Amino acid sequence: MAGTTIASARPTAREAGADSGPGTRRRLRPAGYLWILPALVLCVGLIYYCIAYTAVISTWDWDGIDPFPEKVGAENYVRIAQDPIFWRTIRHTVVFFVVTFVVQTALGVVFAVLLHSRVWLGVVYKVIIFIPVVLAPAITAPVFRRLYAPDGQFNWVLEHVGLGGLAQPWLGQESTALPVIMAITVWQWTGLTFVLYFAAMSQIDPSVLEAARIDGAGNLRILASIIWPGVRGTTVALGILSAIGALKTFDVPYLVAVGGPNYATEFLGTYIYRKTIAQSHVGYGAALSVILLVLALTFAIIMQVRGREKDGVS
Amino acid sequence: MQPGSGRSKGITVMQLSLHRSSRPSSRPESRTPRALRALAVAAAAALLPLTACSPVGGGGAGGSSSQDAGSPIAGTVNWWGWTPTDVDTAQGYIAAFNQEFPDIKVNFKLVSIADWQAALPPALRSDAGPDVFDMQPGAYVNNYGSFAEDLTPVMQKALGDDWQSKVAPAGVSGLTKDGKLVAASVGAVYSGTLWYNPALFDKYGLKPPTTLDEWDKVCQEFRSHDQGCFVQGAAGQGFDQDTLQAIANSVEPGLWTKASSGEVPWNSPGIVKTLDIWQQLFTRKIMQPGAVGYQQYPDANNDFLTGKYAMVMMGTWYTQYSTEKAMTAALKAAGVSGAKPFPILPLQFPDVAQAGNVSEMFGDADYGLSVSTKAKDKAAAETFVTWLSTSKAGQQAVADQLNDVPALKGVEPDFEQIKFVDPATQSAPVKDLLSKVAPVTQPRFALLTTDVQDAMLAAATSTATGSATPQEAADTLQKAAEAAAR
Repeated sequence: MAGTTIASARPTAREAGADSGPGTRRRLRPAGYLWILPALVLCVGLIYYCIAYTAVISTWDWDGIDPFPEKVGAENYVRIAQDPIFWRTIRHTVVFFVVTFVVQTALGVVFAVLLHSRVWLGVVYKVIIFIPVVLAPAITAPVFRRLYAPDGQFNWVLEHVGLGGLAQPWLGQESTALPVIMAITVWQWTGLTFVLYFAAMSQIDPSVLEAARIDGAGNLRILASIIWPGVRGTTVALGILSAIGALKTFDVPYLVAVGGPNYATEFLGTYIYRKTIAQSHVGYGAALSVILLVLALTFAIIMQVRGREKDGVS
Repeated sequence: MQPGSGRSKGITVMQLSLHRSSRPSSRPESRTPRALRALAVAAAAALLPLTACSPVGGGGAGGSSSQDAGSPIAGTVNWWGWTPTDVDTAQGYIAAFNQEFPDIKVNFKLVSIADWQAALPPALRSDAGPDVFDMQPGAYVNNYGSFAEDLTPVMQKALGDDWQSKVAPAGVSGLTKDGKLVAASVGAVYSGTLWYNPALFDKYGLKPPTTLDEWDKVCQEFRSHDQGCFVQGAAGQGFDQDTLQAIANSVEPGLWTKASSGEVPWNSPGIVKTLDIWQQLFTRKIMQPGAVGYQQYPDANNDFLTGKYAMVMMGTWYTQYSTEKAMTAALKAAGVSGAKPFPILPLQFPDVAQAGNVSEMFGDADYGLSVSTKAKDKAAAETFVTWLSTSKAGQQAVADQLNDVPALKGVEPDFEQIKFVDPATQSAPVKDLLSKVAPVTQPRFALLTTDVQDAMLAAATSTATGSATPQEAADTLQKAAEAAAR
C-alpha cells in the first residue's frame, strides 16, 4: 500500500458543499494513478477507444478486409436515413419498448405486491418467476421455435381448449412474429422487474401503509397512492434499462426468427449484424452502431434528467 | 428488458457522463509534472495493446510469401471448414490421407455456416488462423480470396498443364477471382430436385407430381389424410433461391442465370412470372403452413425425415441419405427413437410453368479448399489440398460419401460398397441423378453477391406473405441489384 498515501487537501467551497465527507477532501497522490491503471485500460482502451474507432469506420466504405478502405464521409449516414429497413427497425424498437416495458412493469408490480402479502409457498413462486432470467436465450430459443411452430405446443393447447380457430404459424407471419418475440422477452425479463420492485417495496415504511389503512384506504388506493409513487425511482431505472435494452435487442429475434420473416422482427442489433457480418458492409454497420449508441445515450440522459427534475434535484 | 451485458454497458456510459457534469471537479488545483507523466504512461499503456487490434492493414495479400514453405511430406495443417458438417466424415478423409502421408498431422475444426463469416476474417488476419480453409463460390471468393494462395501452379503440378480439362468446370470458374484460383474444388452440389418418401405416396395411391396442377392435387390428397405434403425452410435464402431458380428454369431455361449475370433485369416478365408461381406455392397450400418461419435445417429436414411431410426441396447432397448408414444417423439426429431407415427418392422439379420445359438442374462447387497466405507449413497444406481435390484416392473418399459429386472427372461412387436402404428401388434413380449432373453448366451461387442474395430473400418472403405483389417484389429486387452493382 506504499503507493496509495492519502492526504487531505483544502477543498473549494463548491466541492465542500457537494462532498458527503466532513468538509475536507481527499485526493490521490500521483503514485495512486498506477492503481487505477487496470480500470483505465479497460474503460479507455477497450470501450472508449473502440467507440471512437467505430465512429471512424462509419465514414468508410469497407468490407472489413480490404487494407485500403474508401473514405466516404457521411455517405453511410445519408444512406441509412434513406433506408426503409432502418426505419422499420426503429418502429419495431419503439413498439417493442412500449409493450414490453408496460407489460413487464404491470406484471412485476402485481407479483411483487402479491408476494409481499403472506402467500403460501411464496418462496417457490419467487423462484419460478425469476428462473427465466437466468436461462440463456440460446437455450430457450429452440424451445420457443418448437413451441410456436405450426404444429407446436401453443397451437396444440389452443386446439384443446376450443380455440383451434386461433391456431396459426406464429413465427411464419409478419403480423404475429413480432408479438411472439415480445412475449418471449416479457417471459424472460419479468422476473428481474419483479425482484427490483419487490426490493423497492421493502423500503416503504410499514407505518405509512398502516396509517393509510387506519384512514380507510383500500388495497387499490394504497397501491396507487403509496406503493406506486414509492417505487417511482425503480420504474424510472427500469424504463431506462428497458429502452437501452430495446435498442440493443439481438438474441431473441435473431435466434428465434433470424430477424424475419421479411424483416418483421428486425431490430437495430440484428440489422447491424446482418449488414456487418452477413453482407460485409462494415462501414455501414459501424454507422448503424454509432446511431444506436447516440440513441441509447440520448434516451438515458433524457430519462435521468427528467427523473432528477421530478425528484427536485437541480 | 434485455440481457444484462448490454444493459450494464449502457448504464456505465451514462453514469459516467452524468457524474462528470453534476459532481464537483476532482481535479487538483495544480497538477504536478509527475502526475502528468503518470497519466501519460497510463494512457500509453492503455492504448498500446490496441495497436495490435487494428483491423486495417492485416490484409491477406502478401502473407508469408517470403516464408519457407516447409516440407511437403511433414508438418501440421489446421483445416477450418463449415463442411463436412459431420466431423467423422472429415476424420475419415484425414485418416485416408494419413495412409499416404503419415507425417502430416491434419486438425479439422468445424465452424457452423452461421458463424463462418464472423469467425473467419479475424482468424485469417491473425497468425493463429487456419492453414487450409473451406471456400464457396460467390461472395466468399470475393471476400476471402485475398487471403488464399493461387493454387494454379499446384494444380498444374498435380494434373499437368491441361489440368482444367480433368476437373469439373464449375469447380474452376466459381473459385477463380481475377485469374487466381483461390481454392481447389473438392466436389460439387447441384440443386433443382425434390426428394420424396415413396412409402407415403404408395400409402395413398399417389404419383409424384410433374406439373403445378398435379402438385396441387397431390397436396390436397395428402392434406385430406392429415398428412403433410411438401416442406421447405423458406426462411433461408439459399433454399428459396433453389426453388426460385428451379421455377425460373421451368418458365424459361437459363433465365435465372441470365438475370444473375445481368443479361436480363430481375424485373423482367419471366422473373415476375417466377415469383407469381412461387407465390402460388403458398396460396395453393403446396408449401407447408408457416414456411417463411421455417429453417431448412433442422426444421424442414427433420419434418421430412420424421415422415411429417412427403416431399422436401433438396439437391444432390441429399443423396447421402439414400444410404442405410447416413439415413440411420440422420433419423437419430432428428430425434426419432428406434430409428428405422426408409428409402427416399429424387424427383425432377415439376414443370410448374406448365410450358413444356424440363427444369434444368444447376450447381457449383460445394466447397473448395484454400491454402492461407499465412499457412505455416505451406507445402504440407498444399499436399493435403492436392490429395483431397485431385488424387483418385481422395476423390474416391469424397465420392463414396454421396454428399458431393467429385471434382475430378472419371471418379464415381463405388456402388459395390455403398449400401442403400432399399437397393431395388433406389439404385437406379440415384445413379440416374448423378449421371444427369455431369453436363450442368448453370451456376447456383457463383454469380451472386450477398446484397443480391439478401434482396432475393426479401422478394421471396414478401411475395410469400402477400406483403408485395410479384411485380413489386421483382422491382425491388432489381433496384437492389442495381444498387449493389454501383
